[in-house]
Amino acid sequence: MADESDHWVFYFDPNRCIGCHACSVSCKQFHGRGADTDDWRTVTHHEAGTYPDVEDVPISMSCMHCHDAPCEKVCPTNAIEKRESDGIVTVNRDDCIGCKYCGWACPFGAPTYGDEGLMSKCNMCLGQGPGGGADVEDTPKHELDDQVQPNCVSDCVGEAIKAGPEKEIIQEASEAAAERFRSGAVANGRVIVEPLQKTQASAGGAGGTAEVTTPFNAGD
Amino acid sequence: MSEAPNSRSGLTRRSLLKASGAVAGAAALGGCLSGEGTSADDGSAEISKAFSNCWMCSHNCGQEVTVMEGSVVNITGVDGHPRGSAGPDTEGTLCPKGLAQQDKTHDPKRIKEPHIRRNGSLEKVSWDEALQYTAERLVQFDEEHGSETFLDATSWAETSIFRTVWKELYGSPERISRGIHVCAGPTFVTGGMMGVGSNNRIPDYQNSDYIIAWGRNILNSFAGQFEAKGVLEAIENRGATLVTIDPNHTETAEKSDHWLPVKPRTDGALALAMANVIIEEERYDQEFVENYTHGFDAYREAAMDMPPEDAAEITGVPAEAIREVARGFAEAAPRAGISVWTGTAQSGNGWKATQNITALNGLVGNIDRPGGLRLWEYPSTASFGEVCEMDYTNRAEFKEPALKKYDEYSDYPVRHIEGIAHNLVPEMVDNDHINGIVCHHDDPLKDGNTQAWIQAIEDMDFVLSIDAYWNGVSRRADIVLPESTSLEKDTMGTGNWSAYPRHKWVTGGKAAVEPQWNTRPDWDILTGIADKMAEETDNDDWTVFQQWDSHGEFINDQLGTCGTTLEDLSTGEKNYCLVEEYDYEKWKDNPNFTFRFDLDQISSFAKAAEEAGMGTAPEWVPPGTYGDETGEEYPLEFTDTRSVFFSHGSNQPHERLQDQYAKRNGLPDEDYRGNYLHMNPKDAERRGVETGDMVTVQSADGEGTLMAHLTERVQPGLVTAEYGFGATSSITSRESGTGGPEEADGMNTMMLHTDQMDPITGQVDRHIAVEVTPAGGD
Repeated sequence: MADESDHWVFYFDPNRCIGCHACSVSCKQFHGRGADTDDWRTVTHHEAGTYPDVEDVPISMSCMHCHDAPCEKVCPTNAIEKRESDGIVTVNRDDCIGCKYCGWACPFGAPTYGDEGLMSKCNMCLGQGPGGGADVEDTPKHELDDQVQPNCVSDCVGEAIKAGPEKEIIQEASEAAAERFRSGAVANGRVIVEPLQKTQASAGGAGGTAEVTTPFNAGD
Repeated sequence: MSEAPNSRSGLTRRSLLKASGAVAGAAALGGCLSGEGTSADDGSAEISKAFSNCWMCSHNCGQEVTVMEGSVVNITGVDGHPRGSAGPDTEGTLCPKGLAQQDKTHDPKRIKEPHIRRNGSLEKVSWDEALQYTAERLVQFDEEHGSETFLDATSWAETSIFRTVWKELYGSPERISRGIHVCAGPTFVTGGMMGVGSNNRIPDYQNSDYIIAWGRNILNSFAGQFEAKGVLEAIENRGATLVTIDPNHTETAEKSDHWLPVKPRTDGALALAMANVIIEEERYDQEFVENYTHGFDAYREAAMDMPPEDAAEITGVPAEAIREVARGFAEAAPRAGISVWTGTAQSGNGWKATQNITALNGLVGNIDRPGGLRLWEYPSTASFGEVCEMDYTNRAEFKEPALKKYDEYSDYPVRHIEGIAHNLVPEMVDNDHINGIVCHHDDPLKDGNTQAWIQAIEDMDFVLSIDAYWNGVSRRADIVLPESTSLEKDTMGTGNWSAYPRHKWVTGGKAAVEPQWNTRPDWDILTGIADKMAEETDNDDWTVFQQWDSHGEFINDQLGTCGTTLEDLSTGEKNYCLVEEYDYEKWKDNPNFTFRFDLDQISSFAKAAEEAGMGTAPEWVPPGTYGDETGEEYPLEFTDTRSVFFSHGSNQPHERLQDQYAKRNGLPDEDYRGNYLHMNPKDAERRGVETGDMVTVQSADGEGTLMAHLTERVQPGLVTAEYGFGATSSITSRESGTGGPEEADGMNTMMLHTDQMDPITGQVDRHIAVEVTPAGGD
């Protein structure tokens, strides 16, 4: 098995996310999914406080292809595979029985079941559409011919989302984000997230006092 | 669900990697492919790459598309693009609107065939019949009413010949544009008169240390993604300070160091108070003010009348916060810039607000200096006159617009400044001064005075619609000519501001796919009308376009002066070209350059200002002086806003954007897909309103119903909704086609409005006194 540091991870910087949802739209278009299907990549907005001491933090999330992949561990049919080469988590829909155990196990709510009742989710654009990537040879994504960046990464207007082997992506993160990732302090070391810089203070209020709860600080 | 986009050919992007992983993958990465018609691995699908520039909001972000068997199967940005990236060596992307061009290209809700009205209803006809009938009606209209009573309401277009056709060849002096008349008249016109053009909108972000987003949500409502990206780069690379001045909390406020939650329509007082601090503390650029400005004494006088403590009373922003931002801005200058556009302009007192704000640039001397107010320049693409090798008569040359010509309008100061005012068109129709209209890619029924405008469209003798969607105008038209969208035609785009503050640029690309259904590109439609007019009138002037075989040939002539071609733009790794370099501070070499604080030297303005009862220098004009005041009956202030998902009236039909917009507001599980009334919980509680309830918004002049969305991000006393929805919408999912009922979710915000406007430019005043009540149902 490849070293964890060669496994792909997502990186997210809420300070650069402008909350525009281009990642969600881009994901669905690339995977040929209609507007009324589940989002594999969601953008949620986390509002807190009272006017004018108000904060509203956008968070873009998808399957994080966790190093420990709780979904894989609970899958009774072994339909979920965490690829040894690059850590990308794929689902073989021929084996999936739609029991939703993975949905319960996932800390990020990534699995969706709108596609014929079977699990579908982000495959880091290893393949296209539900189940995409399950039949792709287990060679690291970055060594496969003709692989694309996940569409959410290449279409992120604020360049807030990155993806790649952990050892490369962590180099691009701030020291604080890298430290939080290594220590497992945020999201159990499953995704590299930049700390939110609370610079904003509204005039007329105390400023910066609102506590914003996001999926990354709410605990699992 | 309605028919899914792309189902026409049975292709989806899902099949893309499978059909030809190698080629599609490379294309999706945004590079690596060259040439067209590359065969797929298995030979089953023909894959090609093409470029375009995005027209969803008309601001030209670069698009790279992958085409398989005649369908667009992938779309992404162009790296390093002047409008769609942060500059050299940065990634190009597309915002949600730009991504939706993929769906739009194959959207089955589009107008697919030419139509003409017979016996009261629209019928499908051939192009030949439609164009022939158009020419006959135009000739008949000219004979009966005179071409000077035909209103050119054609909007942003991928070709520049609209003016040639309607003004010069047909002879109409009546023209209504998006920019000055319905977008931000005060911003455009004050800038021009003060000496900086409309460059007061977009500062030199990348080089700035202090950026003020004044009534602008730059991170979501941008004119090209380079704006949002430029602000983020300035923060990250230069540690720039970002300030947002806005009544509501926005995405830009969230990322700001300071958010000044100003009361609506009091920006003019805030700007004068900042000037007060800067002058009082001698933080202004005395050398610039002394040598390059006019009217400083009058400006100083107005500023001295507005100490921060007084402004705090008016604006709700504490005096100390005003001082802090004034000092920060002045200290950072000249690397300090202000971005201002619609937010401070779409109100009755918007003229003085914008004049007072724009004056701050001259005060701190940031004019055309790195990081300040950049005097952006356009490339020298050739004009129509330069490339046209045939003489013809300009039939509008000696015609005056009705607004200036007739006594009926002598009470409107705007006649000194503009040729038309949006709100006054219905009155002009009543007076028989306008009897017909050509409307293109635009929905004037969303722009103001809507109830009267609907009646006006119905009363006009001739309505010609050139559009991609069925909306309030096309459904009422006599002739509907279905236009192809941007990926179905050759395009060339340019502009001034971009991620390259030292370079002029052009962008473009050849058509990615054939015109869909029986649609045609605007160039083909207009030249088709011209050919028929040549036959019908026997006047050779109408043959002027026959010197070009295609739009591409015309574009190449336009690009000739820039040393590039459409072929160059369509091949290789990128579809833009940096064509000329230009320096900062060019005004130093211009003996005529003056930055005017006081506009007393502009005689047209001096006349208009006198009639409107305002002075020529910066001054404070309270809300309600022109336009609505809130009171007992209508205690809330309504204004409409934009979101990242929609541009004007043109993106609302796209289901992906409707879906994400609903999610952004936390209401995706409702069937409702209209706009939301954003309301502070305090105001909602008093009225028994909860999120998800349907509410009626009532003004003195009209009403509308939409879904409530409660949020602490809205200032108490203010309610807002995104515009472009409701009655007259191009959202056609519930309609069977032409002439169907105009049922679309949400509220057409301008149903609340009649004739409120800025008296100087006629800019529609979108601040309306309202009351909100539960409508029942949720």
